Amino acid sequence: MVDRLGWVPDEVDTGLPSAARLYDYLLGGGHNFAADRELAEKFLRAQPNARTIARLNRAFLRRAVLHLVDAGVRQFLDLGSGIPTVGNVHEIARKAAPGSRVVYVDYEDIAVAHSLMLLEHDDLTTILQEDMTDPAAVLDGARDTGLIDFAEPVGVLAVGVFHFVPPERDPAGVIAAYRDAVAPGSYLALSQFTADLQPDEMAGIVAVMRPSANPMFPRTRAEITALFDGFDLVEPGVVALPRWRPEEGAVDEDADRAGIFAGVGRKR
Amino acid sequence: MAPPARTRRQDIAREWMRAVYPTAYVPMSPIEIELYLLDLVDVIADAVQAEPFTVDPVAVVGDRLVEAHFTGPETLQRTVEVLGHALLFTPELQDVPRLAEKVVAILGSLSTAFATSMRMDAFDQQEEVTRALMAAKRRAERVLEVSEARFREVFDSSAFGIAITDLDGECVEANEALAEMVGRDRAELTGRRLVELFDPADAEALASTYQAVGDGRAVRVRAQRRLLREDGEPVWVHLAVSLLRDADGEPAYYVTMAEDVSELHLLRKNLDFQLLHDSLTGLSNRQRVVSRLEALHGTSRGGITLYHLDLDAFSAVNNGLGHAVGDRVLTEVGRRLEAAVADETALVARVGGDEFAIVVDNSPTTPSVPVVVDRINEALQRPMADGVAVSATIGVVDRPPAGWDVAEILRAADATLRRAKASGKRQWLPYDRHADQRFRDRQARAARMPGALADHELELEYQPLVTLADRRVLGHVARLRWDDLGHDECVRLADETGLSLALGQWALREAAADTARSSGLGTLHFELSPMQSRDEDLVRTVKRTLTETGLPASRLRIFLDARSMLHGVDDDNAQVLRDNGVAAGLTRFNGGQAELSLLDELPVDALVLDPSVVRRLAERPESFLHDAVARMVGLVRSSGVSVLVPDVATEERAAWWARVEVDAAFGDHLAPAVPGYELSGT
Repeated sequence: MVDRLGWVPDEVDTGLPSAARLYDYLLGGGHNFAADRELAEKFLRAQPNARTIARLNRAFLRRAVLHLVDAGVRQFLDLGSGIPTVGNVHEIARKAAPGSRVVYVDYEDIAVAHSLMLLEHDDLTTILQEDMTDPAAVLDGARDTGLIDFAEPVGVLAVGVFHFVPPERDPAGVIAAYRDAVAPGSYLALSQFTADLQPDEMAGIVAVMRPSANPMFPRTRAEITALFDGFDLVEPGVVALPRWRPEEGAVDEDADRAGIFAGVGRKR
Repeated sequence: MAPPARTRRQDIAREWMRAVYPTAYVPMSPIEIELYLLDLVDVIADAVQAEPFTVDPVAVVGDRLVEAHFTGPETLQRTVEVLGHALLFTPELQDVPRLAEKVVAILGSLSTAFATSMRMDAFDQQEEVTRALMAAKRRAERVLEVSEARFREVFDSSAFGIAITDLDGECVEANEALAEMVGRDRAELTGRRLVELFDPADAEALASTYQAVGDGRAVRVRAQRRLLREDGEPVWVHLAVSLLRDADGEPAYYVTMAEDVSELHLLRKNLDFQLLHDSLTGLSNRQRVVSRLEALHGTSRGGITLYHLDLDAFSAVNNGLGHAVGDRVLTEVGRRLEAAVADETALVARVGGDEFAIVVDNSPTTPSVPVVVDRINEALQRPMADGVAVSATIGVVDRPPAGWDVAEILRAADATLRRAKASGKRQWLPYDRHADQRFRDRQARAARMPGALADHELELEYQPLVTLADRRVLGHVARLRWDDLGHDECVRLADETGLSLALGQWALREAAADTARSSGLGTLHFELSPMQSRDEDLVRTVKRTLTETGLPASRLRIFLDARSMLHGVDDDNAQVLRDNGVAAGLTRFNGGQAELSLLDELPVDALVLDPSVVRRLAERPESFLHDAVARMVGLVRSSGVSVLVPDVATEERAAWWARVEVDAAFGDHLAPAVPGYELSGT
């Protein structure tokens, strides 16, 4: 969701697969096109566990949002929100705390158009079409919506998107910019692919995604932990998806094949 | 303080949650999911008990599963497995008449509603994303006015059909998507008048559209029109026509964008991946086979041949090496089958768990059926990466009669495959009308079985188990009878209809009650079906049966199916039975090495030989097999386990078995079975 090719303006690229729609497909959604499914099948060959990983990542998003609601957060900035699919942030937050406000951020045309349709009559939720690696633009836009009060804690969500941020876009700097803009007591929930767990499968994914519009950059646990600079990580720290605060009655999941590390931190 | 006791319905809901949780992402906590499913369990359990019985209330269960997004590829299958088992064995439902039949009806209704809801859901989602696409496209069109260079990129990669025409309406260039829509070559479109691609009835309206845009009276015109495919089929499209100006701002070209909105297209988009492909192997699925047969049958010049394959003993791969290996094997099988028929116009599909189909459109060079079968066998026999080698059994329908419909062709292939399987592994058979008729009769009979069970058409008989030396009666073996069908046939039919658990349970209770009433029957010897042997609720069922019928545990001996025990799903059953005072044995024992080792592992004190072993010995007098079995019997008996022989049919056979000193035998020659209703009380 970053680093677009030079010629592509903000118009639609229907023939190209998108990571957002690939994710939707892996979650069993129908909001996708043949090209997306073709890419997804390659992705699945590289990482046969991909559907499970998508499910675990989506489940982490839900647990993280609920954790933040519990901690008193009522406004969320969801970076790289993608195709609205099952269990969107505003639905989860609002079920737990009615009145919660959400600003989604994505730059992919169809994801944005789709979100706008879904949120047409929703006064407490909107979507910004911006590149999340341009924090100044995102933060300006978020302020303009009037939905986010930066004097109050904000839940910044970067779930399953930072692996699309290449090193040259300075991921740590991007996170730092969001961190500096939000009030103490704000939270960052972040998850991203790693090669620490299944190096071979990860290498396969990287190869599959390299020629696509959304190349991927796995990071080590240390690198991901470093992104939380200025935040206090809540227990249990940066861990494989299913290990992050599993819920009572949860079915055992294979953490070694979960592909993605996740963590939640509170701004000091 | 002890928590309140969980009800059985709660247990079912939890079991169901745990089964479906890994199959789909549902935005609820495990506990919320369990509660959600508990509501559905209530609906189902109430429906099973309602009088008069109707499946109507259950449809809502399928809808609500889809609504909550329990929509993974395996969700329905796991749901049916969990509920199928739970409903048959919930104490609450034990007294419901015709339970098995109702459960089948209810699961059928649930599955239908689920599939319908899924389909609607897929439609809704595709419509949504298409609308999103259109919204995004409208903005893209604004961009067109800004830069033609940018437009070029969209042109090539777009899923929309796009044509650039000069001011006279002649096509300068068309993109691949448009060429596909009209079923023509892209190059062929260049130089043609675009209007010729449309239905003549639309020509006038189109002309005025282009006029309006060209005059500048309209910046962009949208309309719905019909393109004509080369084969004459109309394709409904949304059109957007706009003007492209040159560097000086003068009109230069028209841009026409077309989105295929024909129902066929929408359907295809929906169905393409979700419904026409198998997600594991990437092969086509059954649906695709149906449409391919529909397209070819009756129109194919060389006629079609349908090969229906079933992998032999594939469950051994899945159970023994794990599902990951199983999945890899299935994928590899698909690849090899495709390679085996690569020279033919053929469609390879996965049509069931371990079933594949190949539809061949015969050409003059297509090899004969036996040659193709050989190729398939050769392709499969090479070991795969995991060291697994598989074989397949194949049913073949070659050039079916023109009068058959597709359903009939599929049914014939399936029936032929079942017949081939009955003759062993790595077999193939061509379709045979007479054999098929017999098979159909049998299937019809199988379909009637649930009703027959409920209407008490099935009966139990008791065959005396006698010692061969002095013909002393040791007890009786319970045998099923349904009109002219004997025990083995009944068991096989029940297995095919999925009724074997319900039937086995019914038979155990009947037999225990009869035996309790008639002390003359001695010890009841009861053989379990494979499915019953693996049942986790077996011990509970047996104990309840004993309590309810008053039969003392000492008068019951349960025989577990030896092959099921080999799979080791739940080998506690024998031990727990014994702990409860019920003697345990093995049945359908064929003396293989693996089965012999079971005698060490399980606390069994008797075994019944497999009827096929007995039959084979009878067919080949005094062979090497006789030596082997004689030794095996001696070996088994020396370890303290009794050997019982079924189906002893002649005096000569009885004498041979007496010579190898088996403990007892049964069969019509030794003593005919007594029908249950002829038993005298006490």
